[in-house]
Amino acid sequence: MITVNNLKKSFGDNEVLKDINLQIKPQEVVVIIGPSGSGKSTCLRCMNLLESITAGEVHIEGVNLTDKNTDINQIRTEVGMVFQQFNLFPHKSVLENITLAPIKVRKWSKEKANKVALDLLEKVNLSEKANAYPDSLSGGQKQRVAIARALAMEPKIMLFDEPTSALDPEMVGEVLDVMKQLAKEGMTMVVVTHEMGFAREVGDRVIFMDEGYIIEENVPEKLFDFPSHERTKSFLSKVL
Amino acid sequence: MQGLYDWILNDSGIRIDVIIEYFPLFMKGTLYTLGISISGILIGCILGLIIAFGKMSRLMPIRLPFVWYINFFRGTPLLVQILIIHFGVTPLFIAGASPIKAVISAIIALSLNSAAYLAEIYRAGIQSIDKGQVEAGRSLGMNKVQTMSYIVLPQSIKRMIPPFGNEFITLIKDSSLASVIAAPELLYWARAVNGKFFIVWESLLFIALIYLVITLSLTYLLNYIEKRWNIDDNR
Ligand SMILES: Nc1ncnc2c1ncn2[C@@H]1O[C@H](COP(=O)(O)OP(=O)(O)OP(=O)(O)O)[C@@H](O)[C@H]1O
Ligand SMILES: [Mg+2]
Repeated sequence: MITVNNLKKSFGDNEVLKDINLQIKPQEVVVIIGPSGSGKSTCLRCMNLLESITAGEVHIEGVNLTDKNTDINQIRTEVGMVFQQFNLFPHKSVLENITLAPIKVRKWSKEKANKVALDLLEKVNLSEKANAYPDSLSGGQKQRVAIARALAMEPKIMLFDEPTSALDPEMVGEVLDVMKQLAKEGMTMVVVTHEMGFAREVGDRVIFMDEGYIIEENVPEKLFDFPSHERTKSFLSKVL
Repeated sequence: MQGLYDWILNDSGIRIDVIIEYFPLFMKGTLYTLGISISGILIGCILGLIIAFGKMSRLMPIRLPFVWYINFFRGTPLLVQILIIHFGVTPLFIAGASPIKAVISAIIALSLNSAAYLAEIYRAGIQSIDKGQVEAGRSLGMNKVQTMSYIVLPQSIKRMIPPFGNEFITLIKDSSLASVIAAPELLYWARAVNGKFFIVWESLLFIALIYLVITLSLTYLLNYIEKRWNIDDNR
């Protein structure tokens, strides 16, 4: 579903991703962990071309993102993204946040978009907030709206970049619950997170990145309990 | 009270009668001043938006002409620009000399000039919006234009209103420079009346008062809009 071949990414002289190779199968939940600055976000953002790719290739469902003829907006409708800072549209109500892209990009009627949005709000337990504005929501509520907004486009893949890192501890659970539910329903997910419990419980595979390389990848039990590289061991000893 | 009134009218030497006699011309001048300013700001708004996007282009060859457009119109005196346009540009498509030609020259000059200032206001407003907003829009599959028009511009317009208002007020005052090319706006009539009656104070103070009424009304209106907007925003 996602194939990354020899991906390299530099910001100026700073090579942030050095040689990333990665395959993600449909319905797989892949968790990326690693120290700050190791390139996790950059790697994720290359998968929907929020960062341009310096060298190598990323294929989404067989479509080469770096091909000049690829319609990147089309690809992005299939790849939802959830950000650490939520990035809700403050001038729009919760409902409008969710329906904007389906109406403008998918060309759905307002009725259809509203119906889908209300169903999604029910799913993330925020039905009563449909007409609220983002400023009036708590962090956990904002992030659940952001997830609903991404899901409204009916993506095939969801990317999460530290979705709970900006939240107060008591709100982390409600967001992770929504993500767990999504995983159970068979969504293909790539999740950058520091929530090792979530990685262990939901992840099919965990990838450990450091200094622009994938150091090690394995099923969670093996990676967490029997890491094979020194760097993985020392990272895990600090966070677990 | 009546005595003071009579004194001003008849014995003070203040030529209120001239103001009263030429009142219709002053009103006509006011209309031209407003017409030139409003046309200037409207055309300037549209041009300014284009220039702002041009200046924000990532491609150097596209960016450069817009950068220099802004440099030129902000770095040279408006009066010089008005003269260049009136004697150099407008004659290319309007022959002879007529008040309407001067008005058109004034509108062109003020539009081009305000576009340069407005472009910088747009740019600052657009760039003040968090990058995450654009990323969220793009990640949902919206293209650049959609992201700009549904997400970035609606949020930045509120921040642009105060500097926009200042620019409009500046433009109204600067439209008086068009009197130099005999556009029949307020200052033109004041100087005409002064020349005819050899007076100074009466008509100049009178038009100053008119400018003041216009600019203060506008300030008041803008404050009102801004306040309304903030109230709407704190839903
Ligand atoms: N837009 C950018 N311009 C220049 N350098 C950048 C940019 N974005 C990221 N970097 C650099 O790339 C490196 C990797 O950043 P990245 O955000 O991918 O790390 P990360 O693993 O997500 O870290 P964190 O856990 O702190 O989020 C860092 O050294 C960062 O300074
Ligand atoms: Mg990151």
